[in-house]
Amino acid sequence: MSKPAPMRQMQEIALVDVNCFYASAERAFDPSLEGKPLVVLSNNDGCAVTRSPEAKALGIGVGEPWFKIAPRAKEWGLIARSSNYELYGDISARVMELLGRYSAWLEVYSIDEAFLGVKGSPAALLQLGREIKAAAARNVGVPVCVGIARTKTLAKLANKWAKHNPAFDGVCRWDSVPAGRREALMAGLSVVELWGVAARLTKRLNAIGIHSVLDLSRADPVRIRDKFSVVLMRTVLELQGTPCIPMEEERVGRDQLIFSRSFSTPITTAAELRQVLSVYGQQASARLAKHDLQAKVLTAFAGTSHYNPQDTSYPSVCVPLPMPTADPVILTKAAHALLPAIQEGVKYARAGIMVTDLRPTGNQKPLELFENPHEERNIRPLLEDIARRYGRGSIGLGHAGIRGGPDWSMKRGMRSPRYTTHWDELPLVKAA
Amino acid sequence: MGVVLGPRVIDAGLSLRLVLISPVAVAAGYPSPAQDYFDGRIDLNAHLIKDITSTFVVRVTGDSMERAGISDGDELIVNRALEPKDGSVVVAVLDGELTVKRLRLTSAGVVLQAENPRYPDIPVPSLSELTIWGVATRCLHHV
Repeated sequence: MSKPAPMRQMQEIALVDVNCFYASAERAFDPSLEGKPLVVLSNNDGCAVTRSPEAKALGIGVGEPWFKIAPRAKEWGLIARSSNYELYGDISARVMELLGRYSAWLEVYSIDEAFLGVKGSPAALLQLGREIKAAAARNVGVPVCVGIARTKTLAKLANKWAKHNPAFDGVCRWDSVPAGRREALMAGLSVVELWGVAARLTKRLNAIGIHSVLDLSRADPVRIRDKFSVVLMRTVLELQGTPCIPMEEERVGRDQLIFSRSFSTPITTAAELRQVLSVYGQQASARLAKHDLQAKVLTAFAGTSHYNPQDTSYPSVCVPLPMPTADPVILTKAAHALLPAIQEGVKYARAGIMVTDLRPTGNQKPLELFENPHEERNIRPLLEDIARRYGRGSIGLGHAGIRGGPDWSMKRGMRSPRYTTHWDELPLVKAA
Repeated sequence: MGVVLGPRVIDAGLSLRLVLISPVAVAAGYPSPAQDYFDGRIDLNAHLIKDITSTFVVRVTGDSMERAGISDGDELIVNRALEPKDGSVVVAVLDGELTVKRLRLTSAGVVLQAENPRYPDIPVPSLSELTIWGVATRCLHHV
């Protein structure tokens, strides 16, 4: 749930984000990667999701499939890493904790970017931006860029500018740049490059003579509202320097949790899928319990690959739960409701579950009549305790507990050590 | 009012106070006087880590720091935010590798010293040309 911030209290908004986040997190612990072309691959080592500037210079596009790049990797000296989510999650948390020291208003926008409410004179704001950049590099070891402006939309623009124009040295305050240069920048940017403007609007905007960001900033907000939407009107006002998109506190009121992965090898039988759904049911249970939440609705789904147009199948079921719950047995059973919809022999490339209508645990005690017998016997804490002691995958309901991981689990063959979350995988330092 | 229920005699005021301040909920039974003094066990994180965002644990390989009490296989607690000083045990980047050394800042120049006579000192042209990854604050030595 979002709570509007008192806008008058806040003079400007800083957008801080980590440059090439995944690649930078890898380099923080492996200095030998510095200056070398590096790509970080998506789930199952599918495609390049993050490219270091050196990898971009080789012409590797974002989302380029690894099997296409791999044959030339050696010749290029290109290094690839599988996604190391444990590492990225921890580095992200450290960056956000650090940013929190600079402002009471911190909105974590994604794994590698956050908005901060900042106050002060123009010189003080620029100084603050430089301090944040230096602290992230020194304390956590990752490079960040900072864009500071009166509105979120302009802060995004300033951040982009800071990133692409080396003259800013990573920190740009919008209003500190002469108006002529700002207009030249906006004139050269197409409206689609703007935060919050959907690509599908481009044609309609072009039709009324709005091509560049500068054109949009000079449009009449009321006309934009009438012809398009309130959302786009806000963007216009934000470009003109009027804050319209309030700061949101950290999104604690999550309204859904999704557990979904693509498989390293397709699944073709209901029996295998039953195992997958069991794992997700238990992961959902553990995550709900961690956040003191219970779910009221569970949706389970599966799908074939987009690359394989034959035999397409996208079954899904929505299961209303008898009462709000985080019980692993109930959630797993509910997820299994998908199984009758599975077509044997069809190659499923992904599956998942989503729990929605979440509410805090223990607001009202259920009537004893509806109390669920598994919760009484405390199955969940027992499973969690064993998983904590012997590792995830050491125990599970039904077929979910298979040590060493069933063969559909994610492929991460080129993953670096989980340096900050696993005691056996600490960074090594040479004493030689 | 004092209620007598078999052997459990609890003053209503006292039991209320226990519930409020004790980390262990006591529903009934004779309250342990120790509970008033229980403030939680020793938390090594609280004592060994001053700055959670900038502190990392690394593992040492090699014996070049033996005389500083740092052995092969020991873990070091390293704070990236600390300013390295003369005499600091630092993790520095040497030839693309993380390396642990004693930093010497003298009038004669900057030197990375080993704490083992079998390893030579490494002179560094200037501090600005040296990447210090972090400053070690503790060694978790295996005894």
